[in-house]
Amino acid sequence: MEALFYIFSIIAIFSALMVISVKNPLTSALYIILCFFALAGFYILLNMQFLAAMQILVYAGAIAVIIVLAIMLLNLAKTKGAIKDFHQLVIGIIAVGLLFLEVILYIDAAGEKKPTGIYTNAIINKVGNTQIIGEFLFTKYVFPFEVASILLLVAVIGAYIFAKK
Amino acid sequence: MIFWLITTLVKILIIFGVLLLAAAYLTLLERKVAARIQNRLGPMEAGFHGLLQPIADGIKLFFKEDIVPADANKILFILAPIVVVIPVLTTFAVIPFGAPIKIFGHIVPLQITNVNIGILFILALSSLGIYGVVIGGWASNSKYSLLGAIRTVAQMISYELSLVLSIIGVIMIAGNLSLAQIVSSQAHMWFIVYQPIGFLIYLIASTAEMNRVPFDLGEAEGELVAGFHTEYSSMKFAFYFIGEYGQIVVNAAIITTLFLGGWEGPFLPSVLWFVIKVFLVILIYLWFRWTYPRLRYDELMDLGWKILLPLSLANIVVTGFIMVLLGK
Repeated sequence: MEALFYIFSIIAIFSALMVISVKNPLTSALYIILCFFALAGFYILLNMQFLAAMQILVYAGAIAVIIVLAIMLLNLAKTKGAIKDFHQLVIGIIAVGLLFLEVILYIDAAGEKKPTGIYTNAIINKVGNTQIIGEFLFTKYVFPFEVASILLLVAVIGAYIFAKK
Repeated sequence: MIFWLITTLVKILIIFGVLLLAAAYLTLLERKVAARIQNRLGPMEAGFHGLLQPIADGIKLFFKEDIVPADANKILFILAPIVVVIPVLTTFAVIPFGAPIKIFGHIVPLQITNVNIGILFILALSSLGIYGVVIGGWASNSKYSLLGAIRTVAQMISYELSLVLSIIGVIMIAGNLSLAQIVSSQAHMWFIVYQPIGFLIYLIASTAEMNRVPFDLGEAEGELVAGFHTEYSSMKFAFYFIGEYGQIVVNAAIITTLFLGGWEGPFLPSVLWFVIKVFLVILIYLWFRWTYPRLRYDELMDLGWKILLPLSLANIVVTGFIMVLLGK
């Protein structure tokens, strides 16, 4: 299992690096799909098959398709040198800094954690974690779940209005 | 452990062989069905009633010159046909094709692996089939290929929504995502009885997903030569065909599992029941192709977004209401 973790890690890091370093936009988009697959592999190692399937279905199967379609429709050729923009630089540095901080926080808070509440590992293995995720989404976390749905709905309607203009 | 490994390997090899052979012989079946519909005989020369025709075709394709266009992106051009075939062959890993059997006292399920998210696994893989088309069309660096690829992508995105939503009703009734569980919950009544609209939507949307007539705008011969695989020759071209016909078998198997009771059936052995049902669904797909003319592009989009999508959403709501009313 540990070997698999390292294999997925290497693939994820390599493909993420290739996304930002290859010149061709379509190749770059294909590398990001590879990266999604490596992340799905992590979820399976964490025994979260539902998240893994969703990762492939939503990210690799839907979002990346839209990216590829946009690249094809716009017929983007090779990028002509990197565009150097001061704002991009600032935003990039802040984003990287925040991510680094998050990683440090996670490592700091890491440690063996057991599932809390009525669900012990034995029950999770018996019922399957997909059912448990569903149950939690529609009971305890129903409010954030609905808020997220409405946000997505607003985005869909917004996209439609912009497309109509 | 070793027994499990051997049986799993044997199952994988059998499925691999049967799927590839079925894909090859579907080309013959399609030509024969087309011939019957058009009052012809179809292939008759190679073997008895053309039975060796797929093998002759395979050998011919194998020895054809393998051409890569000069301006093509070589790596992606070679990658694309592979990307088409892999999801098709992998999907069968979760489809149960028979009742569990007993070998030397061990119970062997006739299914490569029973993951508890079987349906999601299938949907995830079928959403990847699109990449073979996109990469192939783009890497060929040809106008016809690119146009075909763009059309196909737009079409597949439109129909995938209804495809996924049409299955939700089945998941709601079965209350499980595992395909083995779904088959066993159909022991008394097939889900096609509870979900006739879901079945029809899946049938139509999967035909569109496979780019078959009447939804084959991506490779409309009259206008785009052959669409996204215009530039392909030799075995790479054959790979596209294996992918296409393998997809027919896989989709027929999914329909059988979700709506037609899977391998359940009286008297005959379960594997035989599964094969019979799959064969009948395949015949429906072939029948579609030689009955309907190709849709116009706006008709295609209208059908996907304005008819199938609202219908599949309504199907979910109605299913939910009835389940609540019946107190299940």
